Amino acid sequence: MDSAIAQKTWELENNILTVETPDPSSDSIFYYDEAAQAKFQQEKPWANDPHYFKRVKISALALLKMVVHARSGGTIEVMGLMQGKTDGDAIIVMDAFALPVEGTETRVNAQADAYEYMVDYSQTNKQAGRLENVVGWYHSHPGYGCWLSGIDVSTQMLNQQFQEPFLAVVIDPTRTVSAGKVEIGAFRTYPEGYKPPDDPISEYQTIPLNKIEDFGVHCKQYYALDITYFKSSLDCHLLDLLWNKYWVNTLSSSPLLGNGDYVAGQISDLAEKLEQAENQLAHSRIGPLGPPRKKLQEESQLAKITRDSAKITVEQVHGLMSQVTLLFQIFRT
Amino acid sequence: MASSSSSGLTFKLHPLVIVNISDHYTRVKSQLNPPPLTSTSATVNGVENQQQAPRVYGCVIGVQRGRTVEIFNSFELLYDPSTHSLDRPFLKKKQELYKKVFPHFYILGWYSTGSDAQESDMHIHRALMDINESPLYVLLNPAINPTQKDLPVTIYESELHVIDGIPQLIFVRSSYTIETVEAERISVDHVAHLKPSDGGSAATQLAAHLTGIHSAIKMLNSRIRVLHHYLVGMQKGDIPCENSLLRQVSSLLRRLPAIESEKFQDDFLMEYNDTLLITYLAMFTNCSSTMNELVDKFNTAYDRHSRRGGRTAFI
Repeated sequence: MDSAIAQKTWELENNILTVETPDPSSDSIFYYDEAAQAKFQQEKPWANDPHYFKRVKISALALLKMVVHARSGGTIEVMGLMQGKTDGDAIIVMDAFALPVEGTETRVNAQADAYEYMVDYSQTNKQAGRLENVVGWYHSHPGYGCWLSGIDVSTQMLNQQFQEPFLAVVIDPTRTVSAGKVEIGAFRTYPEGYKPPDDPISEYQTIPLNKIEDFGVHCKQYYALDITYFKSSLDCHLLDLLWNKYWVNTLSSSPLLGNGDYVAGQISDLAEKLEQAENQLAHSRIGPLGPPRKKLQEESQLAKITRDSAKITVEQVHGLMSQVTLLFQIFRT
Repeated sequence: MASSSSSGLTFKLHPLVIVNISDHYTRVKSQLNPPPLTSTSATVNGVENQQQAPRVYGCVIGVQRGRTVEIFNSFELLYDPSTHSLDRPFLKKKQELYKKVFPHFYILGWYSTGSDAQESDMHIHRALMDINESPLYVLLNPAINPTQKDLPVTIYESELHVIDGIPQLIFVRSSYTIETVEAERISVDHVAHLKPSDGGSAATQLAAHLTGIHSAIKMLNSRIRVLHHYLVGMQKGDIPCENSLLRQVSSLLRRLPAIESEKFQDDFLMEYNDTLLITYLAMFTNCSSTMNELVDKFNTAYDRHSRRGGRTAFI
């Protein structure tokens, strides 16, 4: 069984933590213990430690719903709420639902419009057997990455004052389709004036030029949480069987066709950044020898651009590769 | 119950609905059977816990375009065991809420869990007929059977058949296909195989991408093998000849090679060229960045304008 050995080697190299296949007795995560939750609410261990919550567990259902909703918005930002519970230093998201508001970037108080909807929906859900409370909100950033903008940060800070425990999740459906993996980020803001003890190293992602200022100003005011996913034993079983039917879709999907605009946008953005880097470089040559720090910045600017262009290329090549393999190797005589 | 429907509608089911129903069922089941609170009882495996298997009910929504019915989403409903019907005001309320967020979808039918459709289900079915003249009944079998190869989801329609001289409504099965949007497919894949979610190096991304394609191709291969085996058996005479199947296979073979038209070649070459251009651009950027670094390092090492004057080699 070479394939089994190869898989094990690959998993070892990439530090893949295999989650044991859940069996029916371990579906206990789905059980909502009202008393324990109420007690936790009272204790409020997060009030003393701004960095209290470190992990997020998202259920398969919540992820699917959020991604589908985000994608259905196209290039418009959409938002919704997540329901779940807490478990020690982890926030567990069991379900998500969409809110009928759009364009949160322009309105801080978008949730005020949707309060009635939220109350109605929560009530009906409680009747139908979903007992969890609202534990966070999610919205989409189609095409420009998973981070919190200035307005998002102020909304989340407000939420964390009055609706604790609360979590902010951002999904980028365009990048999800283009990269072939889910682009999602979970964040919590620090309270006003709090300085994090150490700078957490966050994963680099490319931000379009028109948003980079917004990103830079606020990126120190929040931190990202680790996301893991879970599913029930029945989900596991069904998804395995589902594979028997939708392997066809895997073969027939082509990320290149759907995302042409996005890729073109990325390249023009990269061109602008390059121009900007060039201007900076030119300025520093003319003036007196500035402190070496300045030179380092330009270099990192150029290095960033290189990384971005490499990323775009890799995605394109992946898409093309699958097409070439299928069309020229398999379906041609 | 008849075994095949004759209405001529094609059904497309989205995986979200399946995960929705499964989650609903798991939730209700775990609330009914709270997990053991003490650690000792959790390890006792021998005792067969009398797990109740509740029936859950809900509504499926989607779109019908012509002869194609596409089921996109679903939500839970309350069942009233005394009147054997679904809670109507609740249904209306939920429908309003969902209409606000998904204005294009409307109610297509209802779902339930269980191993087989029952007589009492017909009451519920009939009750829904005022919302949709021909509602669907989606049945999910939550029993986990490791030897099962097929999805335990069946879609039933209702048809008026004359049995013993009395026209009665009975359930007939329909076939369906699984339909996904690209984003849905990626997230289902992600959760199903729990692929590495972080960026990782380019190598891991490539490996993940290729693994996906590889498994799909493996599937294709195994299916073709089965077909081949079947045909060989038919040729030898072990299996009775089935003409409809033979016709389907021959039409499939006649469609290969799949795409040969001129327009496709042009489009494909254009896409290929675009990708090559992007690769070239990226290489160029990489080269210029390296050059820039080199020049800067050179300038630092052989500085002409340093205060000490003259050329000083940087050690």
